[in-house]
Amino acid sequence: MRDWENMNSHQPATSALLEFDSPTRKYAKPAIYAALIALFALLPAVLSSVYMLHILILIFIYVIATVSLRAITISGQFPLAHAAFMGIGAYLSGMASKWLGWSPWLTMPCAALVTSGIGMLLGFPFARLRALYYAMGTLFFGIGVLQIIYALGRLTGGYSGLVGIKPLFFGSKLPYYYLFLGLTIGSIIALYRFEFSRIGTNLKAISQSHLVAASVGINEAWYRILSVGVGCFFVGLAGAGYAHYNVVLSTSSFNFMATLWLVMYVLIGGIGHFAGPIIGTFILILIPEYFRDLKMYSPFISAAILGIVVYLMPEGLVGLPKIIRSWFTQHLKDKRAVHAS
Amino acid sequence: MEQVAATITNVLILSSIYILLALGFAFLFNMLGILNLAHGSIYMVGGYIGLALIRGLGFNPWVALLLTTLIFGAFGVFLEKFCFRPFVGDFNRTVMICVVIIIILQTAVNIIAGTQVYSLPPFVEGVFRMGPVSVSYERIVTFSIGAVLLGVIIWFVNMTKWGHQMQAISQDIEAAALQGINVNRISALACAMGSGLAAIAGCLIGAYLNLGPFMGDFMLVKILIVVILAGVGSISGIFFTGFALGALDAVLPMLLKGAVSEAIAFLTVVFILLIRPQGLFGHEA
Repeated sequence: MRDWENMNSHQPATSALLEFDSPTRKYAKPAIYAALIALFALLPAVLSSVYMLHILILIFIYVIATVSLRAITISGQFPLAHAAFMGIGAYLSGMASKWLGWSPWLTMPCAALVTSGIGMLLGFPFARLRALYYAMGTLFFGIGVLQIIYALGRLTGGYSGLVGIKPLFFGSKLPYYYLFLGLTIGSIIALYRFEFSRIGTNLKAISQSHLVAASVGINEAWYRILSVGVGCFFVGLAGAGYAHYNVVLSTSSFNFMATLWLVMYVLIGGIGHFAGPIIGTFILILIPEYFRDLKMYSPFISAAILGIVVYLMPEGLVGLPKIIRSWFTQHLKDKRAVHAS
Repeated sequence: MEQVAATITNVLILSSIYILLALGFAFLFNMLGILNLAHGSIYMVGGYIGLALIRGLGFNPWVALLLTTLIFGAFGVFLEKFCFRPFVGDFNRTVMICVVIIIILQTAVNIIAGTQVYSLPPFVEGVFRMGPVSVSYERIVTFSIGAVLLGVIIWFVNMTKWGHQMQAISQDIEAAALQGINVNRISALACAMGSGLAAIAGCLIGAYLNLGPFMGDFMLVKILIVVILAGVGSISGIFFTGFALGALDAVLPMLLKGAVSEAIAFLTVVFILLIRPQGLFGHEA
């Protein structure tokens, strides 16, 4: 498992030398995760403003979306319709609760399943396409989905947006916070298990070389369809949750730029590591939010973060510790060389 | 009759704009493999710079068009040197740097100009009449500029030394460098040409329709459709697909409701791509 992780991030397996099996090492990671979860569970008690709670809930939703995007990208393909799939989930759930009167608790999993089904059905023809053509085909499909939403204006609200969706809870935002925290943790665990299962390993093999993968008996089309199905399930869930949290839907949350932002969250975190999308989403939403007093100028902050990562961190934010470590070792070496001479 | 004439001019103008933009995009893509997502934003800013030169500084529209082209040529050289050249071969990072450029340009325009709708003053006044048909000179001029530029590009790519070098680089960048072609200079030239063409297209559209800070996103999708459907590496294919898309975009909204026609157009594009994954005129899978 560890070897795959290393191969995917294109780094030599030198880090294996550091992985000695001492008890501290063994229990450090679970302890850190437990501490993080406890931190997020206790955070609402510390935060005074409802607005911060709102931002955190949005971050949770987008973390589910980006981590599910990763489930597809490990197969080596970059779909540019992910926000559109989020929109499919959101609109399906919203419309079912508005027009059929179903409970949101029922429509959310149903919408996620239907989104997954749509993704898998589309996966069949799209398995023919690879790399750039796959990205572009999904991009055009995503825009087509938006146009269909506009065209079905009577059901979806069209250009003015869908209003009157049933909320999950009334009043406080706190139940939403814990619901989405739970959903996010659940999704992350599920997708982590998916990525490091046999299926995920096969997908990574396909991304390295689909011809070699086919030669050892991996059915490329089937595995890629499966990954799209899994990714679309979770992004549909995120979209449905967003619909019942926000209560109002407009297509601008699911257009081409929204997809591009999801891709940016993944890329800025680093595509070589599972934690990349999570870190990227937090950084790229929280930091511009911190500077929101700048109002119209705040997109420049996002641009600055992206620019810094592009120019200085080739592997994304997850590569930052490695850069610092190599900088320090280099520094120490220079010092030793000076002492020796 | 009036309607037919208007539709024909619409088709010609839209397709010439699409082809102009798609060619600039395709040069860079074929040569360096850079998916220049900022092309739409450059086109949008081109229109605004033209507007600022005409309205703000009081230049003659023709002089302003020329100046805008030169400014954006220089901007293209800058882009190639500092934003694209360090990342050639690293697809993800080129996409990220393009998004950075998009954000900066769009936000700047949004702050300076706001969401208010502007339009450039027409290059020529008056209406051309021939029997029952009347077409404004503005449209004729717009189309003529597009057609002349396309002719110049075809001449440039096929007849000049630099054009030949561009073709050589798009075939094989390393072999071209081994033959003594200065790859950096030629790709800077291609980027400058692409940006200049985008700026001209922005000015033309600004006079023909309106300007808005987000019109680049819409146009970017159209450019991608033209380039991808033509097939990567095919320059001549762009003329066919650009004309086809221009015709579709001018005719379909007359027959169907806006969103329905757009949905049909996009799903048709997806369908064509699924049948011919390498594009209509491309040769590699």
